[in-house]
Amino acid sequence: MSRRHSVNRPPTPDVRDDDEDDRPKEPTLLEIVNIKLIESGEKERLMELVRERLVECGWKDEMRALCRAFIKKNGRENVTVDDLVRAITPKGRASIPDSVKAELLQKIRTFLVSVAH
Amino acid sequence: MSMSKEDDLSSNSELLSDVFQYLLDCIIVDVASESHRIARLGLDRNLDEEEEELRLSADARARTSETCHSSEANGKYIVDIFGQTHPPIANEIFDCMNCGRSIMAGRFAPHLEKCMGKGRKARLKSTRSSTASQTNR
Repeated sequence: MSRRHSVNRPPTPDVRDDDEDDRPKEPTLLEIVNIKLIESGEKERLMELVRERLVECGWKDEMRALCRAFIKKNGRENVTVDDLVRAITPKGRASIPDSVKAELLQKIRTFLVSVAH
Repeated sequence: MSMSKEDDLSSNSELLSDVFQYLLDCIIVDVASESHRIARLGLDRNLDEEEEELRLSADARARTSETCHSSEANGKYIVDIFGQTHPPIANEIFDCMNCGRSIMAGRFAPHLEKCMGKGRKARLKSTRSSTASQTNR
């Protein structure tokens, strides 16, 4: 019996021949910032802060309820993490309270400024 | 790296929202992963509708039985399924068809025992000899 994997990983990209001649691929700005966030520990702090805020305002409960409804509808043996992510992301992004969004943006802005100097 | 620090600042607003979305997506994946784990491990007690129905009806039964017990033990009145209470002794009053007196419904049977002479301690308005033959069993 073939079972769906819970998390779909994209296949490892094949090494292409032209890479050996050209310079190595440029990391995107987002990747650079992500590395700096992780190295400085700021990502961990930000994540903790946002998680706490989203629990306080009931956002997490809303998302958990959406997940449960989806699972109930589709059967709990058939659901993958990817399915759930796809199911809750639109509502999840839209229902972030403005205060939480503003607080997070402010902290990111501060971090980017500190990294740039 | 060809990007300079000034470039970081100039494309800041787009970068800002990208980072924000990225962090948000991480959190969404966390929540989805947590819900997925709970569902697949069967840790969510109420996920099955039938289970929930059974549990709710069991709870309801427990609640009504405890209300019954509490009223029998503590109060005077028992509550029925319509929420009505009835006094332990029926208190409607009517006239006895034998002797014509006003009797409370709840006291009617003992009254009839005496009134019609069928009970042990009943006495008829008759001679002592007939009373003795009736009550001697």
